[in-house]
Amino acid sequence: MNESTVVTEQKLGGRSGPFTLASLLSRYGMLLVLIALMILMSLLTPTFLTADNLLNIVRQMSVVGIVAIGVTFVIITTGIDLSSGSVIALVSVVVATLAHPGEYPLVLTILAGLGIGVLTGLINGTIIAKGKIAPFIVTLGMMTAARGAALLYTGGRPIGNLSDSFRFIGQGSLLGIPVPILIFLFVGVVSYLLLNKTKFGKYIYAIGGNEQAARIAGINVDKYKIMLYAYAGLLSSVAGIILTSRIASGQPTAGTMYELDAIAAAVIGGTSLAGGIGTIGGTIIGALIIGVMNNGLDLLNVSSYWQQILKGAIITTAVLIDSRKNRRK
Amino acid sequence: MKKTMFSALLASLICLALVVAGCASKGGNAESQAPAQASGSESGGGQIHIGAALPDFSDKWLSYLQEGMEKYQKTQDGVNVTYVDAQNDASKQLAQIETFISQKVDAIVMVPVDTVSAVDIVDRANKANIPIVVVNRWFEGVDKAASYVGSESITAGVMQMEEVAKLLGGKGNIAIMTGQLGQEAQIKRTEGNKQVIGKYPDMSIVLEGTASWDRAKGMALMENWLNSGKKIDAVVSNNDEMAIGAIMAAEAANKADGMIFAGVDATPDALEYVKSGKLQVTVFQNADGQGKSGLETAIKAARGEQVEKNVYVPYELVTKDNVDEYVKKWE
Amino acid sequence: MNPDYILELTNITKEFPGVKALDNIQLKVRKGTVHALMGENGAGKSTLMKIIFGIYTPDRGTIKYKGEEVKLSGSKDALRLGISMIHQELTPVPEMTVAENLFLGREPTKSFGWIRKKKMVEDARKLFDSLKIDIDPNARMADLSIANMQMVEIAAAVSRNADLIIMDEPTSAITEREVERLFGMIASLKAKGVTIIYISHKMDEIFRICDEITVFRDGQFVGSKPAGELNPESLIQMMVGREIKQVFHKDEAPIGEVLLSVKNLTRKGKFRKVSFEVRSGEILGIAGLMGSGRTEVVESLFGIVPPDEGEIFVKNERAHIRSPQDAIRYKMGLLTEDRKATGAFLPLSVKDNMIVSSIDGYLNRAGLLKGRLVNDMCGAFVERLNIKTPSLNQQIGRLSGGNQQKVLLARWLLSNPDVLILDEPTRGIDVGAKAEIHKLMSRLAKTGKAIVMVSSELPEILGMSDRIVVMHEGEKKGELTRAEASQEKIMELVYR
Repeated sequence: MNESTVVTEQKLGGRSGPFTLASLLSRYGMLLVLIALMILMSLLTPTFLTADNLLNIVRQMSVVGIVAIGVTFVIITTGIDLSSGSVIALVSVVVATLAHPGEYPLVLTILAGLGIGVLTGLINGTIIAKGKIAPFIVTLGMMTAARGAALLYTGGRPIGNLSDSFRFIGQGSLLGIPVPILIFLFVGVVSYLLLNKTKFGKYIYAIGGNEQAARIAGINVDKYKIMLYAYAGLLSSVAGIILTSRIASGQPTAGTMYELDAIAAAVIGGTSLAGGIGTIGGTIIGALIIGVMNNGLDLLNVSSYWQQILKGAIITTAVLIDSRKNRRK
Repeated sequence: MKKTMFSALLASLICLALVVAGCASKGGNAESQAPAQASGSESGGGQIHIGAALPDFSDKWLSYLQEGMEKYQKTQDGVNVTYVDAQNDASKQLAQIETFISQKVDAIVMVPVDTVSAVDIVDRANKANIPIVVVNRWFEGVDKAASYVGSESITAGVMQMEEVAKLLGGKGNIAIMTGQLGQEAQIKRTEGNKQVIGKYPDMSIVLEGTASWDRAKGMALMENWLNSGKKIDAVVSNNDEMAIGAIMAAEAANKADGMIFAGVDATPDALEYVKSGKLQVTVFQNADGQGKSGLETAIKAARGEQVEKNVYVPYELVTKDNVDEYVKKWE
Repeated sequence: MNPDYILELTNITKEFPGVKALDNIQLKVRKGTVHALMGENGAGKSTLMKIIFGIYTPDRGTIKYKGEEVKLSGSKDALRLGISMIHQELTPVPEMTVAENLFLGREPTKSFGWIRKKKMVEDARKLFDSLKIDIDPNARMADLSIANMQMVEIAAAVSRNADLIIMDEPTSAITEREVERLFGMIASLKAKGVTIIYISHKMDEIFRICDEITVFRDGQFVGSKPAGELNPESLIQMMVGREIKQVFHKDEAPIGEVLLSVKNLTRKGKFRKVSFEVRSGEILGIAGLMGSGRTEVVESLFGIVPPDEGEIFVKNERAHIRSPQDAIRYKMGLLTEDRKATGAFLPLSVKDNMIVSSIDGYLNRAGLLKGRLVNDMCGAFVERLNIKTPSLNQQIGRLSGGNQQKVLLARWLLSNPDVLILDEPTRGIDVGAKAEIHKLMSRLAKTGKAIVMVSSELPEILGMSDRIVVMHEGEKKGELTRAEASQEKIMELVYR
């Protein structure tokens, strides 16, 4: 077999030959689900398929979507990050106090916010990697501690009076596209490159695929785990800044349960809890599926009780498909 | 294998959490126990000892309630109150009440963390023959307690909606934004809204959905509603935060003009919005008054006096006309 | 409907998406015999076994068991009919006791489902006595050796009154003495009229214990013959479809300077004062039984578990190796013994598996991977090592064992080490791939690399090594040159 045959066979899709329905479904399943959902929604309500509403959906999902991208990195290594929602809250209250009009430059405010995210991530990662403690426990601890810190910092009250320049991040538009969407897009592209085109990304997959083998292959597993959680923390803080700007208020209760929506988006998008598998594109699709569901059901004025049941059902179905896919291996 | 590990972890985690919670609450009680016993031995039988179980010291509104109690306590001789914080943990609150019972306090004042487990807590106090006064949060079975002191959630919904109906001239399309599903305040406030709407044939509910008390979620819900093509004349929200979210969404879409917004709680942020005319209606729940009445009723019960089964502290409607008076309360 | 046959499979076909795993397979197994199934990895043996055990249902074809046609829809059906399987990867519950594992799912119970533990232990003891197995029923399964776990599995099959037992590579992870014990067990089962289907890659075993041999190749039936009519060469020919003249490909290579030397390496409880050296162009074989400390030595050499004492010199320079990263920095590579547990990243692509240890070489200035370069490098190795994969993006987990092993070898070759340590490089892979790997080793030695090879297979050690270090119970027992070494000499050193 020479190089050219490898390449041609790659184009043909390899030994699996022509695309069967099964292979199509396993590869593009969730994209098809998203398209099907969108078709269904636009049939049910004429107001769904408008440029305004579609932008609206993406803007709404950009906060959870950004968190979900960070969580995808973590889940690929068989980890989990439960602290993202609380980190959002901590970032939110700190950033809000720095964002009062005329106090600090915007850049400093943003850097402080990002710094908090990276710091919480570094703490998570260091305890997980060096202390050999399960990510579930460590990030659960951080989830409680960060929320507590946010409440302590504010005495439970929201912080308002934010500068216009800060509000622009969550409320403004550039060329008709809301800034949160632009940030989401930027984070998506950077994360895609990071995960697929850099050493960091390849090592993340390797650690998730087989941690012991990764060590023997010469990967400094601890170092990359710490970097990984720091990156997830960074993205949580990006989400926290957008959220704070969007609601023009620093809230110690912000981001409650966002970690679960983010994990759901990643899992719906095909990230395997068993590790080694997951893509940024998949996670974005997962986030959009949740967004389309939320939006469509609101447009249709479906009872909130039913909304929860439907959301639960789709998450479970996604995990079911995922476990089937893995079992076939 | 990994999944089994995960569930095992989860299980052990829950156990750990329970143990830690138990220890923490024991620790907390041990501290609060000391002064109570000391005072008991000092003044013998004449002294009244009351245990006050609050859900969350860091909550601003509840801190006013506590202040109301403390102020009233100062006016009373021979009354000793121990305050404990459940940190929003129902099992911790149960443990704290158990400690009160074992200390044989004369009466208990409780703001329940969770309205389901509260039934059981009231039962325990009753079995120990200690009068228990439930404050602020109503629940099914509260009539077993010595007394319930609070404002009727339904009244907030009614007051808020009646003001909106007045502003709309008795006709229009209403969107109702509700709090966390299944909570008493969400159910009752919404019910109050609906009672009023039912009286006006020209008013109808066109949209209803939950935003879980959260500003960001209220904003997202409103954005979706604005895209639904339905005409909305008023957004009636179970609390202020969600109403503010809705206002922000409507403003961003340039659709806020002529739309009525109503909330509940009269938080400082909300009062700002009322002042600027963006939020037309909110409702103030009298924290101070509830705290005072709660302790007053408990002291009566401790002395063996007859107490009212339900003591209602009225809500107060806040509009642009009287907003300044409430702004002062938070300063 | 021949009463002589306990199992008759006719025209069995099974397809997986994109792959025809079995194509019109025939198999007839005589009652009370040991029947070998042979074939390279990927020939379809495992799939067929899963069909017999009811885990897969065939797309076409019939299964007759004891003369009657049966449809199996799950291993429960198979167990009920008296078919048992000793898996390649044993699946006991490690935290439970031997007796509990033995009666898993059919525990003797009292009313309300209380388990009669005493009776269970007694039954287990009786069963072990009758089979002459010396294992404590109260021992924790996790504490047993693999061989003893296997014995428990066999005992479980016997206690179910199995008439047909499938053994899938039962000797792949046990020591030679344990193999003897297993063969004794097989003989006594056979005497009781139990039929055994035996899957193995090891020629000598097949000819020792099997009555009849069936060969598959690429999912197709090649033929069945009584063992007496075959010899190793004719059997290999059936399997690969071509004549393999020389099983071990060994080229003469110029021996150069010492690249790696080890002095008095010690890890407490594992091995003591082990010293050896290996030169450029040389293949050093490390022989010894399982548990002799061979694998532990190379693990310490590579920094996975650093040694407690002793010195390592790379090119005569003292090397401090505390982690695999250090070892790689000293231009070493290690192909581990357990491909699945410590080698391959199963969910990842062939490409990603290959580049992981040499990734720095493909980055541009911005830190991004040069996609073309990666494809070219990996493509070249796919060609050079004759790796059978539909594409570079194929998940490695979907390749056969031999091809997985070649991908992992490619990983180390891409990192261009001076010293390559290969721990059981050909375990569990088919004859064709084995020969290719041996050839590659020779070629690498010729280019001046030093190779350390650990192997349980004496023929491989003798066939490939320039020098042989013999280990036993954590100690180096001696060293033999290629000229003086023989199977007997090695065994002599071990048991001296």
